[in-house]
Amino acid sequence: MAFLAPLFFVGLAALAIPVLIHLTQREKKMVQQFPSLMFVRRIPYQTVRRRKIRDLALLCVRLAALLLIIGAFARPFLWRPNAATAIGPGAREVVVLLDQSYSMAYGDRWDRARAAARDAINRLGASDRASVVLFSSGADIALRSTAEKDRLIASFDTAMPTPAATRFGPALKVAGSILAESPLPRKEAILISDFQRNGWRGEEGSRLPTGSTLTPVTVGGPADKPNATITTASLSRSTFSEQERVTLTASVANRTVVPVSGDSLTLEIGGRAIQTVPLNVAPEGSASVAFQPFTVASRNLRVTVRAGNDALATDNVFNLVISPSTPVRIVIVDTGSRTGANLYLTRALAIGDMPKFEILNRQPNAVSDDDLRRASVVLVNDVDVNVGLARRLARFVQDGGGLFVAAGPRASWPQEADILPATLSQPIDRSRGESARVGALEYQHPVFEVFRAPRSGDFSTARFYAYRSVTPAPNTQVLARFDAGTPALVERKVGSGHVMLWASTLDLSWSDLPLKPVFLPFLHRSMVHLANYTEPAPWLTIGQVFDPDASSAKSQAAGRLALTPSGKRLPLEDEGSSAQVLELQEQGFYEIRGQKANSDVTVVASNIDPGESDLTALDPAEVVAAATGGAGQNAQQTASDVPLTPEAQERTQRLWWYLLATGILLLGVDTLFSNWLSKT
Amino acid sequence: MSVAAGHSQSAIPGARFMDPSVLARIGNLELVSRAVVDGFINGMHKAPYFGASVDFAEHRGYVPGDDIRRVDWKLWARTDRYYVKEYEAESNSNFSVLLDVSKSMNFGTTGITKFDYARILTACLTNLVHHQRDRVGLVTFDNDVVDFVPSSAKHMEVVLHTLEKANPGRPSSLKAPFQKMAEHFGRRGVLVIISDFYEEPDAVLDAISPLRFRGNDLIVFHILDKSELEFGFTDASAFEDMESGDQMPVVPDAFRKEYQSLVKAHLDALQQRFSANRIDYTVLDTSKPIDHALYRYLSARARMMKIR
Repeated sequence: MAFLAPLFFVGLAALAIPVLIHLTQREKKMVQQFPSLMFVRRIPYQTVRRRKIRDLALLCVRLAALLLIIGAFARPFLWRPNAATAIGPGAREVVVLLDQSYSMAYGDRWDRARAAARDAINRLGASDRASVVLFSSGADIALRSTAEKDRLIASFDTAMPTPAATRFGPALKVAGSILAESPLPRKEAILISDFQRNGWRGEEGSRLPTGSTLTPVTVGGPADKPNATITTASLSRSTFSEQERVTLTASVANRTVVPVSGDSLTLEIGGRAIQTVPLNVAPEGSASVAFQPFTVASRNLRVTVRAGNDALATDNVFNLVISPSTPVRIVIVDTGSRTGANLYLTRALAIGDMPKFEILNRQPNAVSDDDLRRASVVLVNDVDVNVGLARRLARFVQDGGGLFVAAGPRASWPQEADILPATLSQPIDRSRGESARVGALEYQHPVFEVFRAPRSGDFSTARFYAYRSVTPAPNTQVLARFDAGTPALVERKVGSGHVMLWASTLDLSWSDLPLKPVFLPFLHRSMVHLANYTEPAPWLTIGQVFDPDASSAKSQAAGRLALTPSGKRLPLEDEGSSAQVLELQEQGFYEIRGQKANSDVTVVASNIDPGESDLTALDPAEVVAAATGGAGQNAQQTASDVPLTPEAQERTQRLWWYLLATGILLLGVDTLFSNWLSKT
Repeated sequence: MSVAAGHSQSAIPGARFMDPSVLARIGNLELVSRAVVDGFINGMHKAPYFGASVDFAEHRGYVPGDDIRRVDWKLWARTDRYYVKEYEAESNSNFSVLLDVSKSMNFGTTGITKFDYARILTACLTNLVHHQRDRVGLVTFDNDVVDFVPSSAKHMEVVLHTLEKANPGRPSSLKAPFQKMAEHFGRRGVLVIISDFYEEPDAVLDAISPLRFRGNDLIVFHILDKSELEFGFTDASAFEDMESGDQMPVVPDAFRKEYQSLVKAHLDALQQRFSANRIDYTVLDTSKPIDHALYRYLSARARMMKIR
């Protein structure tokens, strides 16, 4: 028997209190000198009888109660130096981390993982507690710190692998937090996984608390069963009989050591199989399968590429959403008086596929409101703009349209519609001497971002013989400058739209830029930027977040719903000014629609992370070393040999509680007993 | 603790009031005894028994060698024979005080201990006797003889000095010291025994008997404190025997009557036994004046002389 707080035994002096009270209340301890007790001794002894303790039992009860309470405060415990080895692991806090990624569905890995988890739960001691954490790309605590084995087993017994990928980092962080909060002396995490290489990036911050152990349980094995994975798909659009056709090419990988042969790949559109092609992939190889072109007649066409059954069915499906491409409509405003003024311009814009550009040439006085309503961008090519047109263009920009102004010798802009990013001045003639060149570009801007990499286009090869001197207005951005420092391209945001001013012409009258390779991408990027055009992604990956507001086909924000592939309805209510985003968790098609029957519908295809199909395993010791600070599995053995600290032993035994309860009970008995004595 | 103390008037008409506690503070025994005795004598010189020691005793026939000045010529004229006069005054007696100096004598609750009272009393008696030309001596004892001053007419100062240095410290026992003293008192005399007599009456008498058988005249003064007589304590206490050190818890209120009856029985027993053996016995309360004791002595002395 030992004590955590033996100093409390000083309180044993309190045991003397009842005795002292008893004695002092009955007789004062005074000594009277007297010549002789010869006569005193002859008197019967009854005079000293009062010194005796009459209620000895009551005194004993009180002393015992005090003794027990003092003993409880001293925190006694039975000292067992070899407690850890004698009675087994002792009180443990065990966190069972069960990999639920879709690779666990390969072969019998999931069954073996559950069996391992069940075994870990069954090996818990009476004083042990355990938590179950199911993890894939994230980690969820299925059941937290309990000793009920049945509940622990039930928490994962009916679970199935999810379509998410493996990420060990979040799981280890959750385990670390559980272990850190546990009062139990021994902390252990059991990581049950197939330990895919792709799941571990050496995450920092996923360290378990000091003294914790991590026991890896590998349920992986050789990838000796055929498994074809559709890793990606590409779309090739073409136009045939004024109908857009799409050729879909699927990439299939085989990351196993056995060939995939005799399998087939099926193209499904709207849930119906359209084409089936044979699929043969060599071991550790890949293949591309191109389907026959098909016509995309409507928006949100649900396309699925499906491979045959194999050892891992999850990665046999690849979903896409295909819609007809939307062209960027451009109204080119030109006087038409100059031959070839629009030649390079129209030829350059006619080339585009992603996106396509639809060009409408108009003279300044022929631009109608309908033209502006349908257009995404208006390109004013060296035109003297009158006030009326300028005001209409200003409203057009305010409503989100894009305006590109090429300032040649005839260009002018009325001050009544102040939307230009710069004030036009006199032309500068650089035809004599060295011609001007564009020297400084804002490569951060979307227009010039494609030219950022080396050998991605050189504007300095273009020569400018003349240009307009412009003075940038406040709150504008100069995107390009001539070598003399004069702005060449200036942008201004007006309302919901943008206005760009090019201080030269887009033909060969003032420069040879249209002859340079950078002309076409420069023009395309400018139009795409001004049109605020974004290519809709045919698919997203599970774990990604879809922002309904950013989709091209916006639904009405109020009362939007998301219909998941499994049929659940998720409300996407507005929270203040912004709508909720949708985290993709299932494989298939998400449908986002408004409450009204005729509201726009947005369909999002959700695919698995194809990297999870790579079953290449890593050494679990790498994870263990990173999570335990290099202690590794040996820490478990070391921890079991280290005797429990006195505090830990006292915590497990809790003898103080019984002593305190008994002491309080005795005080109650004392009260009843003394009351009874006082009445008798 | 409190003791009911009180002072009573002297039993002797005209005598000076002498508070023992006041005398105890004087310290000089010679001065104290002289003051007491002188005062006592001045108040008593008309008494008929004063000068009894110089009274004519008898005639005896002249023998050659007798001083012819002591021949009673008147009787020669009548009888024609030579007779010589003899007087009592000429036959000075031995006077010794046997003083108990045991530890129990060092008790007092009225401002003076029993020992101090007994010491003053001894000094006074010695002084008084010295005035009468008797030989004075002193023996102090506890469980043995402590100091022994033989009787002599010149030992007055020695007696006082011995009294001064006496210090009670040991338990008492009467038998052993009295047996030893009996061997020394070969000549008849007056022996005054002063003690608190915490022994059984029979044992006390047995102890004194050897002195008695030698023909000594015994005067016993039994000195007790007022609290020993009345047991005026109020608080329950542990009572400690001053000689043995034993302790007993005592509740005085419930104890007093029994104690008083026991003490009274003890004193009565002593009185009865001393009377039966013709020993003058006086109980002295230390809260009472000392002249009462002196009176008792002189009256006892007178009775002895008459009997003789």
